[in-house]
Amino acid sequence: MKIVVIGLIVLLAIVHHDFWWWDAKEPLVFGFIPIGLAWHAFISIAAGIVGAIAVKYCWPEHLDEEHADEEGGAE
Amino acid sequence: MTFGIILSYLSLLLFLGLFAGRLFKRTSGDFFLASRGIGPFMLLMSIFGTTMTAFALIGSTGKTFDRGIGVYGLMASWSGIVHASIFFLVGAKVWALGKKHGYVTQLSYFRDRYKSDTLVLCLFPLLVLFVMLYILMGVIGSGRFIQNITPETFAMKDHVTVVEAPKPADLAIPETWKERLSYDDAKSAFVVKGSLHPKRFGLFRKFSKEPGWTHPKTGTAREIVDAAPRGAVTIPYGMAIICVVVLFYVFFGGMRATAWANTMQTLVFMVMGIIAFCVITNALGGPVEASKNLLESNSREHSRMQREGLIHHLQFLTYVFIPLSVGMFPHLFQHWLTARKASNFKLTVIAHPICILITWIPCVLLGMWATGVLPESTAPNAVLGMMVARYSGEVLAGLIAAGVLAAIMSSMDSQFLCLSSLFTNDIVARYSKKQIDDRTRILYGRIFVIAVVLAAYLIGLTEPGSVFDMGVWCFTGFATLSPLLFASLYWKRTTKQGAIASVIVSAALWLGFLPNVFEASKSGGEFLLWGMMPVAFMVFCSTAALVIVSLATPEPSEEDVGKFFAK
Repeated sequence: MKIVVIGLIVLLAIVHHDFWWWDAKEPLVFGFIPIGLAWHAFISIAAGIVGAIAVKYCWPEHLDEEHADEEGGAE
Repeated sequence: MTFGIILSYLSLLLFLGLFAGRLFKRTSGDFFLASRGIGPFMLLMSIFGTTMTAFALIGSTGKTFDRGIGVYGLMASWSGIVHASIFFLVGAKVWALGKKHGYVTQLSYFRDRYKSDTLVLCLFPLLVLFVMLYILMGVIGSGRFIQNITPETFAMKDHVTVVEAPKPADLAIPETWKERLSYDDAKSAFVVKGSLHPKRFGLFRKFSKEPGWTHPKTGTAREIVDAAPRGAVTIPYGMAIICVVVLFYVFFGGMRATAWANTMQTLVFMVMGIIAFCVITNALGGPVEASKNLLESNSREHSRMQREGLIHHLQFLTYVFIPLSVGMFPHLFQHWLTARKASNFKLTVIAHPICILITWIPCVLLGMWATGVLPESTAPNAVLGMMVARYSGEVLAGLIAAGVLAAIMSSMDSQFLCLSSLFTNDIVARYSKKQIDDRTRILYGRIFVIAVVLAAYLIGLTEPGSVFDMGVWCFTGFATLSPLLFASLYWKRTTKQGAIASVIVSAALWLGFLPNVFEASKSGGEFLLWGMMPVAFMVFCSTAALVIVSLATPEPSEEDVGKFFAK
């Protein structure tokens, strides 16, 4: 799954450079957002989704397990 | 009214500081790291609030007015991808190491990881310089901002302004203004009593139809409005108010108050941005109408609804290196260490790009629509203020002002506390000949907070113009240092010599390119190297120095680095 997440991040970085909409003012998404801006808003949302996938499937759970004992007594 | 709203908001922060102070556990761990007890939501708000400055509201609107919608791709969507990746790959890992080995600051981590005091002594002045520049941008920016939004706060009834000018034949001063504005025939001059808001020009202009009176730049109405005092809160007072408020809650509540204040301030600036967007959009006839009008207006050579002619391809691509700077912000590093557990970072990884979207999209759209309604000569940083002044009332202006100041202070408080931590823990406690107990450490922490705030205020009073150019350039400096952090976590073979070489190369390049930055700034442009952001070249050089020198020097022992890498 790590490979998939890394692949998705690389894909986001590639499609971030949307030269195909460099000089496009239209279409206007929802009637008011220029397509170039809407595309990047979508990239922000996609970054959040990739983050959610990374957190769900690749989170290093051992980091908390290592401190589980200290957690109980520390605070 | 505007100043009243600002004062109410600042009072709320003072109250929050007092409340956080009551919960203070009187340990240095609580003062510097809130006892490592911050939950997921507050961690998200602290981190997001710290990374967003006034630029998120004022700068994003102004920069879009100047460079078009590509600004979102340059700064916001790149940040969404890179910041979230750094929080995932670095933040949680650093937290675990910090918890395990008791690190309080970024430098204490680097000292232990690379087993080198020399590295710390090289890094310390650089980090202090970069953070101080960052603080100064906030301090001076808040002073200027408060001055700009508080005209006629003081009536200055005894102040008389005399402007010599011929009397227009059709001059008709309304009854309500006759007490404050009159014409002295003996002196052939207009006499104004008290302070004037710049927006009075619109009203004054209607008093006569003669071109010599109405001309927007050289007319007498303009001359009178410009000559009269603003009656605003002056820059030194504005800076002092902000410094005292932040000092108050950082001094009494330390990191706990900082995290609470950041949470509140982040919510404030996000909500205020959205409110400003809704009110102004409504006044423009709705979002669809506003965009349609702009499409039809063709008011500029290059429409701000696209990127052609405004942003270079290579510049757009290499901007990806700028958000790497968050990895090396010492104040953000300290926030990472405050988390209760590593899994608290999960929410930040997911929600940070969305928070950026919520804050930036409304501002970018406002900046875009402003190109259709404001003159091209408008100063970019004045765009949001002018849109608010034109399309809303004083109450909204006050609320937006609170939002902008919230964005400034939510970064500034962490920076004050961070510099205090660096001085206390990495210099005084480290090099003091006798053991420093916990109470003394808190005392030193507080003394250094006062010292840093005072230093920032005193330097701010001189209003050094170059601070803003250097401040923006300091992001490049932080980003150039980032290979040091990534290598410390992911490359066992890194040596202290390699790390020191990387820091020296970063410092040399940062200082070496500084004159070019000033030069480009004077001409209103951005310093580019072979058409790309210089940070790309600088990160490459600092990485190369780190790798080459590390490979050329003896491998660190397993005993030294083993504890930093999972077996």
